[in-house]
Amino acid sequence: MHTGPGRALTAVYGVFALSATARAGYQLIREFDVAPIAYSLSALAAVIYILATVCLVIGNRVSHRIAVAACAIEFLGVIVVGILSHTHPEDFARPSVWSNFGSGYGYIPLLLPLIGLWWLLRVGRRASRG
Amino acid sequence: MFTVFTIVLYAATGILTLWSIVETIRNRPAGKALLGGAALLLLLLIVQLIISIATFGSTHDVDPLLYFGYIITAIMVMALAGFWAFAELSRWGPGVLAAAGLTVIVMIERLDQIWQ
Repeated sequence: MHTGPGRALTAVYGVFALSATARAGYQLIREFDVAPIAYSLSALAAVIYILATVCLVIGNRVSHRIAVAACAIEFLGVIVVGILSHTHPEDFARPSVWSNFGSGYGYIPLLLPLIGLWWLLRVGRRASRG
Repeated sequence: MFTVFTIVLYAATGILTLWSIVETIRNRPAGKALLGGAALLLLLLIVQLIISIATFGSTHDVDPLLYFGYIITAIMVMALAGFWAFAELSRWGPGVLAAAGLTVIVMIERLDQIWQ
C-alpha cells in the first residue's frame, strides 16, 4: 500500500468512486429511459473509479499497471464524452459524470486521472530505480 | 430541511474543511481535536438523517431513494475519511478529511435542493 500523498490520492479516488456509484445506481434504477447512453456511461465511469481505487490500495506491480490503464481510460472518457456532449447534445439530455468535461463535478473527473497518472508514473520510476 | 440545522451543518463542515487544510499545510497529522471534530460532524449528519426520517411525511414529491441515497453516502464518506485520518500518521490524514469535507459541503447543498 502506498503511503503519504499516495494514500491521500487513493482516499480521494475512494470518495469519488463511492459518490459516482451512488449516483449512477440511482440513475439506473429511476431514470434509465430518459438518457440511456449518458447513464450507461455514468455506470461505466463508476466501475472504472472503483477499479482504480482498488488497484491503488493493493499497490503491487500488476495492480499498478491496471491503475495506469484505468486512469488513462478515465481521461480519454472525459475528453471524448466532453466533446460528444457538445456535438451530440441530444444523446446527453441528462448529465453523465463525464459530460462537459466533468463540469457538473467541479472538473474533478478531468483533473483526477491526470493527478493519478502523474503519481503512478512517479512511483513507478522510483520503484524501478530502487 | 430545517434552515437552522442546515446552517449548523454547513458551518461545521466548513470549519472542519478549513481546519484540515490548515493542518495539511502545517504538515501535521490529524490530532485528537481534529478527529473529534470529524466525529462531531458525523454525529450531526446522523442527526440530520434521523430528523429527515421523522419529518419525511411532511414533504411533497421528494424521491426517498434520491434523498436518503445522498445522505447515507455523505455519512459513509465522512466515516471512511475519519478512519483514514486516524490511521494515517502524516499530513495526508487531514488532507483526506479536507477532500471529504468539500464533498460533504456539495452533498449538503444537493440534499437541501432535493428537500425543497
